[in-house]
Amino acid sequence: MADLEIRDLHVCTDGHEILRGVDLSVSRGQIHALSGKSTLASTLMGHPAYEITQGSISFMGEDITSAEPHERAKAGLFLAFQYPVAIPGVSVANFLRMAINAKREEPIGVKEFRAQLAHAVDLLDVDRSFTSRHLNDGFSGGEKKRAEILQMAMLLPDVAVLDETDSGLDIDALRTVAEGVQRLHDEQGLGVLIITHYQRILHHVKPDFVHILLDGRIVLEGGVEVVERLEREGYDRIRQEFGAGEAGAVAAGDPGA
Amino acid sequence: MPEAPRARIPRPATDNGAAGGRAGGAEAAGPDGVQVKPGGHREATLYSALAGAGAGDGRSLAELRAQALRAYESLELPVWRRSGFWTTSLQKLELGSLRREPDAAPALPEIVERTLPARPRAGRIVQSANAIVQLELDPDLRERGVILCSLKDAFREHPDLVAPWYSKRLTVDRHKLEAANAAFWSAGAFLYVPPEVVVSDPFEVVYAIDARGIAQYGRTLVLGGQASEFRLHEYDLGEDFEGQALHAGAVEVYLQDGARCRFAQVQDWGAGEVFDVSTRLVDVGRDAYCHWLPALLGGHLVRQHLELAVSEPGGEMAFRGLFFTEELEHLDVFAVDLHETGPSEGDVHWRGAATGQSRASFEGLIQINPGAQRTHTYLQIHSMMLSPKARVDAIPSVLVSADDVSASHGGTVGDLLHAKPRAGPPRRRARDRGGLF
Repeated sequence: MADLEIRDLHVCTDGHEILRGVDLSVSRGQIHALSGKSTLASTLMGHPAYEITQGSISFMGEDITSAEPHERAKAGLFLAFQYPVAIPGVSVANFLRMAINAKREEPIGVKEFRAQLAHAVDLLDVDRSFTSRHLNDGFSGGEKKRAEILQMAMLLPDVAVLDETDSGLDIDALRTVAEGVQRLHDEQGLGVLIITHYQRILHHVKPDFVHILLDGRIVLEGGVEVVERLEREGYDRIRQEFGAGEAGAVAAGDPGA
Repeated sequence: MPEAPRARIPRPATDNGAAGGRAGGAEAAGPDGVQVKPGGHREATLYSALAGAGAGDGRSLAELRAQALRAYESLELPVWRRSGFWTTSLQKLELGSLRREPDAAPALPEIVERTLPARPRAGRIVQSANAIVQLELDPDLRERGVILCSLKDAFREHPDLVAPWYSKRLTVDRHKLEAANAAFWSAGAFLYVPPEVVVSDPFEVVYAIDARGIAQYGRTLVLGGQASEFRLHEYDLGEDFEGQALHAGAVEVYLQDGARCRFAQVQDWGAGEVFDVSTRLVDVGRDAYCHWLPALLGGHLVRQHLELAVSEPGGEMAFRGLFFTEELEHLDVFAVDLHETGPSEGDVHWRGAATGQSRASFEGLIQINPGAQRTHTYLQIHSMMLSPKARVDAIPSVLVSADDVSASHGGTVGDLLHAKPRAGPPRRRARDRGGLF
């Protein structure tokens, strides 16, 4: 059994069914890329606006379908937000220490925390002064996403869900973030589910599995050859093939984009 | 080489001098004779954001031109007033005596080579008067689907790409010169950067006027495809000549999902009596980003409406501008930081200076529409008067219609009245050094 098991998941929000029977399995040490909805990320972490009407989510053998968000996080599931929230007055370092302590019986010692933080900062090639700034307050898009990845490196989850972490990044910031994710996978055996609308992050992170979500269902799965097919044929072809009404990408020149 | 003496040109038709005030002006009589105290009140401001009020609604180019022509024929030359302390008037523009074509066949103006830096570029398009006189595009980029051509050619060769976006967020009939632009533009520039194409060298779009008597209509349309990255440099340049000329411009830039653009603009119309009335708009799509740096370095009378609109969640922008006026120049800038949806981020920071007897007015507006929650933005304007007779107005303002946002603004105006002027107009020295970027 995989570490994260999603079975026949149906999800509604605002009276609309967004997910219509999603099956997905993610284990430690695997990288999955999913082109499609952020709804799946929000549902996995227990966002109250998303109602599970059918199906189940289990993590490390436990059914977490009805678990609270903090229980899921404590169990080792991590979500990197698409639009991280700013918390003026709370430094990145203090936030990280509080987050780590929330997962432990005993508070982490100062020396241990500093050593862990220094290691994570080096691993992700982040300036040390970054950790003394207030969390996401006045951060650029790239800095916010780096802060998310830094949290991931400190909290050491078993499986991380990256909800469009590549959005709003220039090519250099994208490379930095992607390399950080790849290192955490390579060195710590992190399991990763990357939800993205774009293909470009997959030039820097090598997925083991690729899934295409259209109209609330996974319609195409495979390895990197799926990415190659996407780049060759585009989403429109796949959309036509599966008769779907929407896709993870928008055609250039579409004024309604 | 010594600089040629600048011709004495009459002050643009304004009543700003009559107000006699500095940094906010003095009290003056309003339309009903009541003494109106300027500043500090929204009603004292005149301008409003376009906020998506474009004319492009599926009609053909010919239909939009016809609408614009009707407006042009029915409207008088505009006069913009802020109650009591500011007027920008085009009444002294002799529009009827200006022509769209120069006396001689258009050639690449010398000022273009003299001003633009010699460095690698992705492409360049130059419009002199109303004709394209230089067009080049890196062949490798053309191979990758990048398009750079005149807007006129783009309508002919890529109608499906151009038509849905043309005038999507620009109006064609708010005033006579906007209507003239929409009715009479004949060359223009079109740039398309396809999805996921990253271009490091800048694209250069140049509008140049090198002789008096010209009415130039500039029209630029830029489309940044999904997750594309590129730099856009616009130059608006005029030679030093005696007599009137007009540049009526319209620029629209659309950045699709995840696109990133650094847009810089240098506008310096030289010592001639050049009137510039232009509107520029950048639409920032989902998770897209724009860094926009306008550098407004002078013209006889310049009125600029600059609007940066975040239209989709996750959009982010930095709007950093500067202006410099000298002698008898008149500058009227309206800069808009519009958030139509959230989450979004904005940062507007302008700096300016005025010397001689010039007049400069900067109005900056943060507008956060209903539902644009989790918007965070800040607007600041800092300006200086470098001579006793210069005048600067700074009007930062905020219109907020959402309750989970942070938006603030600030402005300073100071003077530096005892500084010794250095030889020659500083902006010309800057320009002739080969670029500001």
